[in-house]
Amino acid sequence: MSVLQEAPVTEPTTDLVAVQDLYKYFPIHAGLLSRHIGDVRAVDGVDFSIAAGETLGLVGESGSGKTTVGRLLLRLLPATSGAAYFEGQNILKMTRAQVRRLRKDIQIIFQDPYASLNPRMTVGDIIGEPLKIHGIARGRAGDDKTQDLLRMVGLQPYHANRYPHEFSGGQRQRIGIARALAVDPKFIVCDEPVSALDVSIQAQVINLLEDLQKQLGLTYLFIAHDLSVVRHISTRVAVMYVGKLMEMADRDALYENPLHPYTQALLSAIPIPDPHVERRRKRIILTGDIPSPVNPPSGCRFHTRCPVAFDRCVTEVPPFAEYAPGHFAACHWVEEHGGKAPDLINGPAVVA
Amino acid sequence: MALLEVKNLKTTFATEDGLVTAVNGLSYAIDAGTTLGIVGESGSGKSVTALSIMRLIQRPGRIESGEIFFDGQNLLTKSESEMRHIRGNDIAMIFQDPMTSLNPVLTVGEQISEAIQLHLGYNRRDALEKTIDMLKLVHIPSPDKRVKDYPHQFSGGMRQRVMIAMSLSCEPKVLIADEPTTALDVTIQAQILELMNEMQSRTGAAIILITHDLGVVAEVCENVLVMYGGNMVEYGTAQQIFDQPKMPYTQGLLSSLPRLDAEGHERLVPIKGQPPNLLRLPPGCAFAPRCAYRMPICDDPVPLYDFRDGHVARCFLYDERSASQRPIAVETAPRVSLSDVAATPQAMAEKQP
Repeated sequence: MSVLQEAPVTEPTTDLVAVQDLYKYFPIHAGLLSRHIGDVRAVDGVDFSIAAGETLGLVGESGSGKTTVGRLLLRLLPATSGAAYFEGQNILKMTRAQVRRLRKDIQIIFQDPYASLNPRMTVGDIIGEPLKIHGIARGRAGDDKTQDLLRMVGLQPYHANRYPHEFSGGQRQRIGIARALAVDPKFIVCDEPVSALDVSIQAQVINLLEDLQKQLGLTYLFIAHDLSVVRHISTRVAVMYVGKLMEMADRDALYENPLHPYTQALLSAIPIPDPHVERRRKRIILTGDIPSPVNPPSGCRFHTRCPVAFDRCVTEVPPFAEYAPGHFAACHWVEEHGGKAPDLINGPAVVA
Repeated sequence: MALLEVKNLKTTFATEDGLVTAVNGLSYAIDAGTTLGIVGESGSGKSVTALSIMRLIQRPGRIESGEIFFDGQNLLTKSESEMRHIRGNDIAMIFQDPMTSLNPVLTVGEQISEAIQLHLGYNRRDALEKTIDMLKLVHIPSPDKRVKDYPHQFSGGMRQRVMIAMSLSCEPKVLIADEPTTALDVTIQAQILELMNEMQSRTGAAIILITHDLGVVAEVCENVLVMYGGNMVEYGTAQQIFDQPKMPYTQGLLSSLPRLDAEGHERLVPIKGQPPNLLRLPPGCAFAPRCAYRMPICDDPVPLYDFRDGHVARCFLYDERSASQRPIAVETAPRVSLSDVAATPQAMAEKQP
């Protein structure tokens, strides 16, 4: 694909991050000659932007491509085509030296606090390494900064001499956060940062991320599958399904007035920790499994499980259109009903 | 009489670092046709409880003491061959990860029909027929073809359905489900919970649902048992536990959860500190080091306080002996504390030249 070459190097925009028509296909090779027999279409044409200081929640089930989007933004993976701008510079067209400088501004916090810290390095070395690489602080100044970072994430300075295995999951995640903060980044991709943690610890880390955002003016892309956590932390939310965005809106608009049938089903599937609410609630139970991104359904990707799908949904890919200011959805049903959402609980009538 | 009753169960693991007490004197009972949720965080002992009931604790683990009555008989005095008969037949278990609990080199049909032949004495052909019926029951499309497939040819949700089909094929009286939906996506989780509910109303089995997800508990359980540090800290109906949690740990768990139906943006209230180290459990209440209501008496062994409506909590707050005591402040410097964010960016900026 040649779109990568055509995209401009810079883009005048007020958003900190802008992603346009982003694609990532992982080729599948098979046979003696490793013929190219297909692609895993992990990210299949995605557009969104993130303003400075806000948190965009990116939710989706397994195989939706949400993690791949995060990795493309850090250039941990090369994109197939499209453009991703950070402060107006196209990340996907940067040279290696530029990417290195980029990672001073963009950092990532990984899901698994056990796999993402080198077990042979002390915590001080782990946090101090980015300081050295980016020439921020060395020697005594580096140690001081490391200790400040440890305090900032709620650990103690003497923890610098310890190894990751001496810490619990929640504490390790704090170490991962300190490492990301070491270079004073502007933008952090948080890839399922709390899903490996116990409930009581999860809240500690969420509060820490919120405090740090306020103190340091950070911008987050918060990737998660837990919609309750995403509701709590996000300014805006984007919903992904098998490589494509289904809906994107301000947090309250998305949770209170979801347009897309998939968003509705997803929200209705989340159990609420209150037996009174649970017993009154009617649930939309989707049939079938999540399709494979190797061979996604034609037309709208959700049509195989959608309760209101009709013939157009099978043949035509719905556009990601704006139905209310800032509220985007990709759904033919919504389009044909003038931006109204289907009522999936009481039959496919229009919500009044 | 309760269908299954656990009395004073104590299970330990001899590790290099010392004796880990995973379950420490646990007692509870469950009636036929009801669903009991066991909630707790990692290391609270909820899975070890289940494995102890199934007598699947392997060395270095050991059931040190206690009794487990099923239908009036003590499972802990059964021989291994008697247990093998009870497992699957009377008490079945579903594990968290369906991929590791299915044999990858046998077809799904072979695995389910093996259990049916073994426990119900069916011949091969009848067992296969029953297998297809079971797969149909758990809504696997074209079950007559899928019986010949191997586990890797199924998706995660389908594999968990296969596990449910297998565990229910002998119509067990007790089904223990250990985090059955944790590895699944939410839309698939909703399907599986619905399926378990459907099965229960058909067979009248008792279900023990082990989970860390309080939302799932609110959705499907009548009774809830909260575990912390290897023992029960609170037990009651779902309404009691969610409406009037008595134990500060249960209260803390509920207030630390972000809710989908939250109004506005309230800051989460986390529980301070870290989960207990099972090698060095405190002498009294295991939660005391993290508890905002900690009193001097909390270092004594804590009795269960009975609220006389089925609701019990292991907490001195409800004991008359605590009336004369004042809460002592939680350790001012727990190993990790959010209030300890001393280094603000301003402070850091001042330090830098």
